[in-house]
Amino acid sequence: MASERERCVTGIEGLDNILGGGIPTNNIVLVAGSDGTGKTTLAFEFLVRGAVSGENGVLITTVESKSKLLANIPSLVFYDEKMLGKQLSIVTLKEMIDGTDKPFGKADEPGMDKIIASIEKLVIGAKAKRLVIDSIDTVLPDEKEDRLNTYFLTILSEMLHKHGSTAILVSKASTAESGIGSVVDGIIQMSNLERKGDLLRTMQVPKMKGTAHSRAKYVIDLTSAGVLVTTLLKGGI
Amino acid sequence: MSEDLHSRIALKLEAVGPSVSIGLEIKIESYFDIVRGLIDDFASKRGMNCIYITSSVPSATLNSALQALEANTDGLRFIDCVSHTMMGAIQRVDNTVFVENPSMLENIILKVEYFLRLAGDKKTVVIFDSANSFAIHNDPKMLSEFFTIILNSLKAREAYPVVLMIPDQLRVEVKEMLGMVCDVIMPIEEERQS
Repeated sequence: MASERERCVTGIEGLDNILGGGIPTNNIVLVAGSDGTGKTTLAFEFLVRGAVSGENGVLITTVESKSKLLANIPSLVFYDEKMLGKQLSIVTLKEMIDGTDKPFGKADEPGMDKIIASIEKLVIGAKAKRLVIDSIDTVLPDEKEDRLNTYFLTILSEMLHKHGSTAILVSKASTAESGIGSVVDGIIQMSNLERKGDLLRTMQVPKMKGTAHSRAKYVIDLTSAGVLVTTLLKGGI
Repeated sequence: MSEDLHSRIALKLEAVGPSVSIGLEIKIESYFDIVRGLIDDFASKRGMNCIYITSSVPSATLNSALQALEANTDGLRFIDCVSHTMMGAIQRVDNTVFVENPSMLENIILKVEYFLRLAGDKKTVVIFDSANSFAIHNDPKMLSEFFTIILNSLKAREAYPVVLMIPDQLRVEVKEMLGMVCDVIMPIEEERQS
Protein backbone atom coordinates (compact mmCIF):
# COMPACT_ATOMS: atom_id res chain seq x y z
CA MET A 1 0.00 0.00 0.00
CA ALA A 2 1.41 3.38 -1.03
CA SER A 3 2.20 5.77 1.80
CA GLU A 4 0.18 8.97 2.10
CA ARG A 5 1.76 11.94 0.34
CA GLU A 6 2.83 14.83 2.55
CA ARG A 7 0.45 17.77 2.24
CA CYS A 8 0.85 21.46 1.81
CA VAL A 9 -2.18 22.59 3.82
CA THR A 10 -3.43 25.61 1.90
CA GLY A 11 -5.27 27.00 4.95
CA ILE A 12 -8.28 27.67 2.73
CA GLU A 13 -10.59 25.40 4.67
CA GLY A 14 -13.03 24.59 1.89
CA LEU A 15 -10.25 23.83 -0.58
CA ASP A 16 -8.39 21.63 1.90
CA ASN A 17 -11.61 19.69 2.47
CA ILE A 18 -12.04 19.23 -1.29
CA LEU A 19 -8.45 18.00 -1.54
CA GLY A 20 -8.65 15.65 1.42
CA GLY A 21 -6.22 17.69 3.51
CA GLY A 22 -4.30 19.95 1.16
CA ILE A 23 -2.19 19.99 -1.99
CA PRO A 24 0.31 17.12 -2.11
CA THR A 25 3.69 18.75 -1.42
CA ASN A 26 5.80 19.60 -4.49
CA ASN A 27 2.78 19.57 -6.79
CA ILE A 28 2.46 22.23 -9.45
CA VAL A 29 -1.15 23.34 -9.55
CA LEU A 30 -2.72 25.35 -12.33
CA VAL A 31 -5.41 27.77 -11.14
CA ALA A 32 -7.25 28.55 -14.34
CA GLY A 33 -10.21 30.78 -15.08
CA SER A 34 -11.44 33.88 -16.80
CA ASP A 35 -11.33 37.41 -15.39
CA GLY A 36 -13.05 38.06 -12.07
CA THR A 37 -13.28 34.46 -10.95
CA GLY A 38 -10.99 34.87 -7.93
CA LYS A 39 -7.75 33.25 -9.14
CA THR A 40 -5.39 35.90 -7.80
CA THR A 41 -7.24 36.16 -4.48
CA LEU A 42 -7.09 32.38 -3.99
CA ALA A 43 -3.38 32.28 -4.84
CA PHE A 44 -2.62 35.22 -2.56
CA GLU A 45 -4.49 33.66 0.34
CA PHE A 46 -2.52 30.43 -0.24
CA LEU A 47 0.66 32.44 0.39
CA VAL A 48 -0.66 34.46 3.33
CA ARG A 49 -2.01 31.36 5.08
CA GLY A 50 1.38 29.77 4.55
CA ALA A 51 3.14 32.80 6.00
CA VAL A 52 0.88 32.69 9.06
CA SER A 53 1.64 29.00 9.60
CA GLY A 54 5.40 29.46 9.20
CA GLU A 55 5.84 28.54 5.52
CA ASN A 56 7.51 31.31 3.55
CA GLY A 57 6.16 32.16 0.13
CA VAL A 58 7.10 33.99 -3.05
CA LEU A 59 4.66 35.64 -5.42
CA ILE A 60 5.95 36.48 -8.88
CA THR A 61 3.49 38.92 -10.37
CA THR A 62 3.80 39.42 -14.09
CA VAL A 63 0.68 41.42 -14.82
CA GLU A 64 0.26 43.91 -11.98
CA SER A 65 2.42 46.16 -9.86
CA LYS A 66 2.77 45.19 -6.18
CA SER A 67 0.71 48.15 -5.00
CA LYS A 68 -2.11 47.50 -7.48
CA LEU A 69 -2.14 43.80 -6.62
CA LEU A 70 -2.41 44.47 -2.90
CA ALA A 71 -5.05 47.16 -3.43
CA ASN A 72 -7.25 44.86 -5.50
CA ILE A 73 -7.24 41.92 -3.09
CA PRO A 74 -9.87 41.90 -0.32
CA SER A 75 -8.21 43.03 2.91
CA LEU A 76 -7.75 39.70 4.65
CA VAL A 77 -8.16 39.90 8.42
CA PHE A 78 -5.23 37.52 8.93
CA TYR A 79 -2.89 39.42 6.60
CA ASP A 80 -0.28 41.67 8.15
CA GLU A 81 1.78 43.87 5.86
CA LYS A 82 4.74 43.24 8.16
CA MET A 83 4.88 39.83 6.43
CA LEU A 84 6.11 41.54 3.26
CA GLY A 85 9.78 41.01 2.65
CA LYS A 86 9.91 38.41 5.43
CA GLN A 87 7.54 35.46 5.26
CA LEU A 88 5.99 36.79 2.05
CA SER A 89 7.98 38.16 -0.89
CA ILE A 90 6.30 39.80 -3.86
CA VAL A 91 8.45 40.19 -6.95
CA THR A 92 7.48 41.70 -10.27
CA LEU A 93 8.62 40.13 -13.51
CA LYS A 94 10.79 43.17 -14.15
CA GLU A 95 12.52 42.79 -10.78
CA MET A 96 13.09 39.13 -11.50
CA ILE A 97 14.63 39.92 -14.89
CA ASP A 98 16.76 42.73 -13.45
CA GLY A 99 18.02 40.37 -10.79
CA THR A 100 19.55 37.98 -13.33
CA ASP A 101 23.08 38.24 -14.65
CA LYS A 102 22.12 37.56 -18.23
CA PRO A 103 19.04 38.33 -20.35
CA PHE A 104 16.56 35.51 -20.71
CA GLY A 105 17.12 35.34 -24.43
CA LYS A 106 15.03 33.32 -26.83
CA ALA A 107 11.96 31.27 -25.99
CA ASP A 108 13.87 28.03 -26.17
CA GLU A 109 15.23 25.48 -23.71
CA PRO A 110 18.25 27.57 -22.66
CA GLY A 111 15.87 30.53 -22.23
CA MET A 112 13.60 28.41 -20.04
CA ASP A 113 16.62 27.30 -17.99
CA LYS A 114 17.42 30.95 -17.29
CA ILE A 115 13.88 31.67 -16.11
CA ILE A 116 13.92 28.65 -13.80
CA ALA A 117 17.34 29.66 -12.49
CA SER A 118 16.05 33.11 -11.56
CA ILE A 119 12.93 31.60 -9.93
CA GLU A 120 15.15 29.20 -7.99
CA LYS A 121 17.25 32.12 -6.80
CA LEU A 122 14.08 33.70 -5.39
CA VAL A 123 12.93 30.45 -3.78
CA ILE A 124 16.31 29.90 -2.13
CA GLY A 125 16.62 33.54 -1.04
CA ALA A 126 13.19 33.52 0.58
CA LYS A 127 13.40 29.90 1.83
CA ALA A 128 10.05 29.55 0.15
CA LYS A 129 7.86 26.51 0.62
CA ARG A 130 5.14 28.11 -1.50
CA LEU A 131 5.46 29.71 -4.90
CA VAL A 132 2.85 31.54 -6.97
CA ILE A 133 3.36 32.79 -10.51
CA ASP A 134 0.56 35.13 -11.55
CA SER A 135 0.23 34.77 -14.40
CA ILE A 136 2.09 31.91 -16.02
CA ASP A 137 0.67 33.03 -19.39
CA THR A 138 3.18 35.88 -19.41
CA VAL A 139 6.15 33.72 -18.45
CA LEU A 140 5.61 30.96 -20.96
CA PRO A 141 6.48 31.93 -24.51
CA ASP A 142 3.43 30.34 -26.04
CA GLU A 143 0.86 28.51 -23.98
CA LYS A 144 0.19 26.17 -26.90
CA GLU A 145 3.85 25.30 -27.36
CA ASP A 146 3.60 21.87 -25.77
CA ARG A 147 7.24 20.84 -26.03
CA LEU A 148 8.59 23.98 -24.36
CA ASN A 149 5.81 24.07 -21.79
CA THR A 150 6.49 20.49 -20.84
CA TYR A 151 10.19 21.23 -20.60
CA PHE A 152 9.55 24.30 -18.43
CA LEU A 153 7.24 22.45 -16.06
CA THR A 154 9.56 19.48 -15.81
CA ILE A 155 12.52 21.54 -14.69
CA LEU A 156 10.29 23.70 -12.48
CA SER A 157 9.00 20.51 -10.86
CA GLU A 158 12.55 19.24 -10.28
CA MET A 159 13.55 22.54 -8.77
CA LEU A 160 10.50 22.65 -6.45
CA HIS A 161 11.10 19.07 -5.37
CA LYS A 162 14.68 19.93 -4.49
CA HIS A 163 13.49 22.71 -2.21
CA GLY A 164 10.34 21.03 -0.88
CA SER A 165 8.11 23.71 -2.37
CA THR A 166 4.59 23.67 -3.79
CA ALA A 167 3.51 25.97 -6.61
CA ILE A 168 0.39 27.59 -7.93
CA LEU A 169 0.47 28.84 -11.49
CA VAL A 170 -2.31 31.27 -12.35
CA SER A 171 -3.65 31.26 -15.88
CA LYS A 172 -6.41 33.11 -17.68
CA ALA A 173 -6.69 30.40 -20.29
CA SER A 174 -9.25 27.68 -19.79
CA THR A 175 -7.68 24.29 -19.13
CA ALA A 176 -9.06 23.05 -22.44
CA GLU A 177 -7.20 25.80 -24.31
CA SER A 178 -4.10 25.73 -22.20
CA GLY A 179 -1.32 23.42 -23.27
CA ILE A 180 -0.04 23.10 -19.72
CA GLY A 181 -3.26 21.66 -18.30
CA SER A 182 -2.15 18.17 -19.24
CA VAL A 183 1.34 18.45 -17.74
CA VAL A 184 0.67 20.10 -14.37
CA ASP A 185 0.00 17.93 -11.30
CA GLY A 186 -3.29 19.56 -10.45
CA ILE A 187 -5.93 21.87 -11.83
CA ILE A 188 -8.25 24.18 -9.91
CA GLN A 189 -10.80 25.52 -12.34
CA MET A 190 -12.38 28.84 -11.38
CA SER A 191 -15.52 29.88 -13.26
CA ASN A 192 -18.57 32.08 -13.33
CA LEU A 193 -21.84 30.18 -13.33
CA GLU A 194 -24.90 32.00 -14.59
CA ARG A 195 -28.19 30.85 -13.12
CA LYS A 196 -31.36 32.76 -13.96
CA GLY A 197 -29.35 35.93 -14.51
CA ASP A 198 -27.34 35.59 -11.30
CA LEU A 199 -23.60 35.11 -11.56
CA LEU A 200 -22.01 32.75 -9.04
CA ARG A 201 -18.27 32.28 -8.62
CA THR A 202 -17.42 28.58 -8.71
CA MET A 203 -14.43 26.34 -8.08
CA GLN A 204 -13.82 22.77 -9.22
CA VAL A 205 -10.84 20.44 -8.96
CA PRO A 206 -10.88 18.11 -11.98
CA LYS A 207 -7.32 16.91 -11.39
CA MET A 208 -4.95 16.59 -8.43
CA LYS A 209 -2.23 13.97 -8.48
CA GLY A 210 -1.35 12.24 -5.24
CA THR A 211 -4.69 12.54 -3.47
CA ALA A 212 -8.28 11.41 -3.65
CA HIS A 213 -10.38 14.54 -4.05
CA SER A 214 -13.85 15.81 -4.75
CA ARG A 215 -14.59 16.61 -8.39
CA ALA A 216 -17.83 18.45 -7.66
CA LYS A 217 -18.42 22.11 -8.43
CA TYR A 218 -18.51 24.48 -5.45
CA VAL A 219 -19.62 28.07 -5.02
CA ILE A 220 -17.11 30.47 -3.51
CA ASP A 221 -17.09 33.94 -2.03
CA LEU A 222 -14.11 36.25 -1.69
CA THR A 223 -14.25 37.86 1.74
CA SER A 224 -11.98 39.46 4.29
CA ALA A 225 -12.16 36.15 6.18
CA GLY A 226 -10.67 34.47 3.10
CA VAL A 227 -12.07 32.42 0.24
CA LEU A 228 -15.21 30.72 1.52
CA VAL A 229 -16.55 27.58 -0.13
CA THR A 230 -19.94 25.90 -0.14
CA THR A 231 -21.62 23.20 -2.15
CA LEU A 232 -23.50 24.12 -5.32
CA LEU A 233 -27.22 23.62 -4.78
CA LYS A 234 -28.90 21.46 -7.40
CA GLY A 235 -32.49 21.58 -6.26
CA GLY A 236 -32.93 17.82 -6.21
CA ILE A 237 -32.10 17.55 -9.91
CA MET B 1 -49.75 41.44 26.43
CA SER B 2 -47.44 42.54 23.64
CA GLU B 3 -44.65 43.26 26.11
CA ASP B 4 -44.99 39.71 27.39
CA LEU B 5 -44.64 38.26 23.93
CA HIS B 6 -41.05 39.28 23.23
CA SER B 7 -39.77 38.20 26.64
CA ARG B 8 -41.74 34.93 26.46
CA ILE B 9 -40.17 34.07 23.09
CA ALA B 10 -36.74 34.45 24.65
CA LEU B 11 -37.64 32.10 27.48
CA LYS B 12 -39.08 29.57 25.09
CA LEU B 13 -35.99 29.57 22.88
CA GLU B 14 -33.75 29.25 25.90
CA ALA B 15 -35.72 26.20 27.01
CA VAL B 16 -35.18 24.58 23.60
CA GLY B 17 -31.41 25.23 23.65
CA PRO B 18 -28.78 25.33 20.90
CA SER B 19 -28.38 22.94 17.96
CA VAL B 20 -32.13 22.72 17.41
CA SER B 21 -33.63 24.25 14.27
CA ILE B 22 -36.87 26.04 15.04
CA GLY B 23 -39.67 26.98 12.68
CA LEU B 24 -41.35 29.92 14.39
CA GLU B 25 -44.97 30.33 13.30
CA ILE B 26 -45.89 33.98 13.63
CA LYS B 27 -48.75 36.35 12.90
CA ILE B 28 -47.92 39.39 10.84
CA GLU B 29 -49.32 41.76 13.48
CA SER B 30 -46.79 40.45 16.04
CA TYR B 31 -43.86 40.70 13.64
CA PHE B 32 -41.85 43.49 15.30
CA ASP B 33 -42.54 42.16 18.78
CA ILE B 34 -41.14 38.79 17.76
CA VAL B 35 -38.11 40.30 16.04
CA ARG B 36 -37.43 42.33 19.17
CA GLY B 37 -37.82 39.24 21.32
CA LEU B 38 -35.32 37.30 19.22
CA ILE B 39 -32.70 40.04 18.84
CA ASP B 40 -32.92 41.93 22.12
CA ASP B 41 -34.52 39.70 24.74
CA PHE B 42 -32.90 36.48 23.58
CA ALA B 43 -29.62 37.13 21.71
CA SER B 44 -28.43 40.42 23.16
CA LYS B 45 -29.41 39.89 26.78
CA ARG B 46 -27.69 36.51 26.78
CA GLY B 47 -24.49 37.92 25.27
CA MET B 48 -24.91 36.17 21.92
CA ASN B 49 -24.39 37.42 18.39
CA CYS B 50 -27.29 37.48 15.99
CA ILE B 51 -27.20 37.01 12.22
CA TYR B 52 -30.44 38.25 10.70
CA ILE B 53 -31.08 37.10 7.13
CA THR B 54 -33.82 39.22 5.67
CA SER B 55 -35.58 38.57 2.40
CA SER B 56 -38.73 40.43 3.37
CA VAL B 57 -37.93 43.78 5.05
CA PRO B 58 -34.83 45.89 4.17
CA SER B 59 -32.18 45.89 6.89
CA ALA B 60 -32.33 49.70 7.14
CA THR B 61 -36.03 49.51 8.04
CA LEU B 62 -35.40 46.80 10.62
CA ASN B 63 -32.50 48.76 12.09
CA SER B 64 -34.67 51.88 12.43
CA ALA B 65 -37.50 49.90 14.03
CA LEU B 66 -35.14 48.26 16.52
CA GLN B 67 -33.64 51.62 17.42
CA ALA B 68 -37.13 53.01 17.97
CA LEU B 69 -37.82 50.06 20.28
CA GLU B 70 -34.53 50.83 22.07
CA ALA B 71 -33.27 47.32 21.38
CA ASN B 72 -29.58 46.59 21.83
CA THR B 73 -28.18 45.85 18.36
CA ASP B 74 -24.46 45.59 19.24
CA GLY B 75 -24.05 41.95 18.25
CA LEU B 76 -26.48 42.13 15.34
CA ARG B 77 -25.37 41.44 11.74
CA PHE B 78 -27.65 41.62 8.72
CA ILE B 79 -27.58 39.64 5.52
CA ASP B 80 -29.86 41.78 3.42
CA CYS B 81 -31.27 39.98 0.37
CA VAL B 82 -33.99 42.48 -0.39
CA SER B 83 -32.49 45.97 -0.69
CA HIS B 84 -30.73 45.26 -4.00
CA THR B 85 -33.96 44.05 -5.57
CA MET B 86 -35.61 47.38 -4.76
CA MET B 87 -33.03 49.19 -6.93
CA GLY B 88 -32.84 52.10 -4.52
CA ALA B 89 -29.78 53.72 -3.05
CA ILE B 90 -28.15 51.30 -0.61
CA GLN B 91 -26.73 52.64 2.60
CA ARG B 92 -23.52 50.79 3.40
CA VAL B 93 -23.23 50.04 7.10
CA ASP B 94 -20.67 48.00 8.98
CA ASN B 95 -23.04 45.37 10.35
CA THR B 96 -24.66 44.56 6.99
CA VAL B 97 -23.70 42.58 3.91
CA PHE B 98 -25.90 42.50 0.85
CA VAL B 99 -26.89 39.60 -1.38
CA GLU B 100 -28.33 40.58 -4.75
CA ASN B 101 -31.56 38.65 -4.32
CA PRO B 102 -33.10 35.87 -2.22
CA SER B 103 -32.54 33.27 -4.94
CA MET B 104 -28.75 33.43 -4.49
CA LEU B 105 -28.96 30.81 -1.78
CA GLU B 106 -25.32 29.68 -1.91
CA ASN B 107 -24.21 33.27 -1.36
CA ILE B 108 -26.44 33.46 1.71
CA ILE B 109 -24.77 30.30 3.09
CA LEU B 110 -21.37 31.89 2.45
CA LYS B 111 -22.32 35.18 4.12
CA VAL B 112 -23.50 33.28 7.19
CA GLU B 113 -20.16 31.46 7.21
CA TYR B 114 -18.40 34.82 6.91
CA PHE B 115 -20.13 36.28 9.96
CA LEU B 116 -19.63 33.07 11.95
CA ARG B 117 -15.89 33.20 11.24
CA LEU B 118 -15.68 36.81 12.35
CA ALA B 119 -17.62 35.94 15.51
CA GLY B 120 -15.18 33.20 16.49
CA ASP B 121 -16.44 30.98 19.30
CA LYS B 122 -19.25 33.28 20.36
CA LYS B 123 -22.71 31.68 20.39
CA THR B 124 -24.93 32.91 17.57
CA VAL B 125 -28.63 33.11 16.83
CA VAL B 126 -29.37 32.91 13.10
CA ILE B 127 -32.77 34.18 11.99
CA PHE B 128 -34.27 33.52 8.55
CA ASP B 129 -36.92 36.13 7.75
CA SER B 130 -38.90 34.55 6.29
CA ALA B 131 -39.73 31.16 4.82
CA ASN B 132 -42.63 32.86 3.05
CA SER B 133 -40.50 35.36 1.18
CA PHE B 134 -37.81 32.75 0.40
CA ALA B 135 -40.57 30.57 -1.06
CA ILE B 136 -41.64 33.38 -3.39
CA HIS B 137 -38.17 33.56 -4.94
CA ASN B 138 -37.12 29.91 -4.93
CA ASP B 139 -38.16 26.54 -6.20
CA PRO B 140 -39.28 24.36 -3.24
CA LYS B 141 -36.69 21.67 -4.01
CA MET B 142 -33.92 24.24 -4.04
CA LEU B 143 -35.23 25.78 -0.84
CA SER B 144 -35.40 22.36 0.79
CA GLU B 145 -31.76 21.68 -0.10
CA PHE B 146 -30.75 25.12 1.14
CA PHE B 147 -32.44 24.74 4.52
CA THR B 148 -31.18 21.20 4.95
CA ILE B 149 -27.57 22.25 4.38
CA ILE B 150 -27.56 25.48 6.33
CA LEU B 151 -29.64 24.28 9.29
CA ASN B 152 -27.49 21.16 9.70
CA SER B 153 -24.36 23.25 9.49
CA LEU B 154 -25.65 25.68 12.12
CA LYS B 155 -26.75 22.87 14.40
CA ALA B 156 -23.29 21.32 14.18
CA ARG B 157 -21.85 24.64 15.36
CA GLU B 158 -24.23 24.87 18.30
CA ALA B 159 -25.99 27.91 16.90
CA TYR B 160 -29.65 28.77 17.38
CA PRO B 161 -31.28 28.66 13.92
CA VAL B 162 -34.77 30.18 13.76
CA VAL B 163 -36.91 30.23 10.60
CA LEU B 164 -39.78 32.73 10.72
CA MET B 165 -42.92 31.58 8.93
CA ILE B 166 -46.44 32.86 8.51
CA PRO B 167 -48.26 29.52 8.19
CA ASP B 168 -51.55 30.85 6.78
CA GLN B 169 -49.72 32.25 3.77
CA LEU B 170 -47.46 29.28 3.01
CA ARG B 171 -48.03 26.83 0.20
CA VAL B 172 -48.69 23.32 1.48
CA GLU B 173 -45.54 21.87 -0.07
CA VAL B 174 -43.36 24.55 1.55
CA LYS B 175 -45.05 24.03 4.90
CA GLU B 176 -44.43 20.30 4.64
CA MET B 177 -40.83 20.90 3.68
CA LEU B 178 -40.29 23.16 6.72
CA GLY B 179 -41.83 20.46 8.89
CA MET B 180 -39.14 18.12 7.61
CA VAL B 181 -36.12 20.41 7.84
CA CYS B 182 -36.94 22.03 11.19
CA ASP B 183 -36.60 20.01 14.41
CA VAL B 184 -39.35 21.97 16.14
CA ILE B 185 -42.29 23.97 14.80
CA MET B 186 -43.20 26.54 17.41
CA PRO B 187 -46.63 28.23 17.06
CA ILE B 188 -46.13 31.52 18.90
CA GLU B 189 -49.71 32.78 18.78
CA GLU B 190 -51.08 29.66 20.46
CA GLU B 191 -48.58 30.09 23.23
CA ARG B 192 -49.58 33.71 23.63
CA GLN B 193 -53.25 32.86 24.09
CA SER B 194 -52.68 30.08 26.61
